[in-house]
Amino acid sequence: MIVCVAVVGHQNNPVYIQSFTEADDALKLHHIVHCSLDVVDERVNNPKKSGPTLNETFLGLLYPTENYKVRFHSAYVDAVSNPFHVPGKKITSRTFAERVSNIVKSFGLSSAG
Amino acid sequence: MGREVSESCVESLLTEIVSSYCNHFYANKPELAARRIEAIGYQVGHQLSERYTMDRPRFSDHLEAIKFICKDFWSELFKKQIDNLKTNHKGTFVLQDSRFRWLSHMSIDLSSESSGSAQDPSTMAESKAAQATGMYLYFPCGIIRGALSNLGIPCAVSADISSLPACKLLLLNTLRCFSR
Repeated sequence: MIVCVAVVGHQNNPVYIQSFTEADDALKLHHIVHCSLDVVDERVNNPKKSGPTLNETFLGLLYPTENYKVRFHSAYVDAVSNPFHVPGKKITSRTFAERVSNIVKSFGLSSAG
Repeated sequence: MGREVSESCVESLLTEIVSSYCNHFYANKPELAARRIEAIGYQVGHQLSERYTMDRPRFSDHLEAIKFICKDFWSELFKKQIDNLKTNHKGTFVLQDSRFRWLSHMSIDLSSESSGSAQDPSTMAESKAAQATGMYLYFPCGIIRGALSNLGIPCAVSADISSLPACKLLLLNTLRCFSR
């Protein structure tokens, strides 16, 4: 199940962060997201080690056949296309939050079987 | 994919942007109008590059990113690709479009601008026309600068319209970005 969705900006700044369990508090989530950025950096900076996965848009291969990554990306692109959104600042769109939450819900349902 | 509007709407919008900023918001301050229009283009380019790179893998180097601008990005915006790409391999690129679409419906009338001053009227008319036409290039230059910036290539983008309807875009200082 998906526990947290985060969007990180160019300067490693959090642009959107939302948890989907009751347990974790915001600070702990930020910390986990930052640690997972190390994995991303490692993949990007070590092309020989990561091999063919370097050019993949999605660096983490969890469920290669799931299209939820495309749906997240699509929701993000739409949110950023909002002329009132300031690039680099937090995403405040309720529509984006709803879409993310719906994707997480449907992911939870499809992986429960 | 997504919704579309007619091209004439886009052209009318561009004409009105230039008119509003040059004659209304920043009347008699063409440099400020130009900068504002370019900034709007920058944000649009940022957003468009996000959308048009959605299905693509990451770019392996910034030459790949610039080729993307010349082919796919230019096609999405102007329904054609860049006709010629040159570089000095030291951070400067020249993109040449032999028939820039957003100027193709504009008539640049040189004869009606004579002012009766001592200076040769045809050169004055030409430079006035060039200046007027130049205002329409700030928005597309901003778009390209915004797109490149979002792809990790901050640079300066300027246009050379000395041989209309051809348009050359100069990308300068593309090398002063990441060095891993």
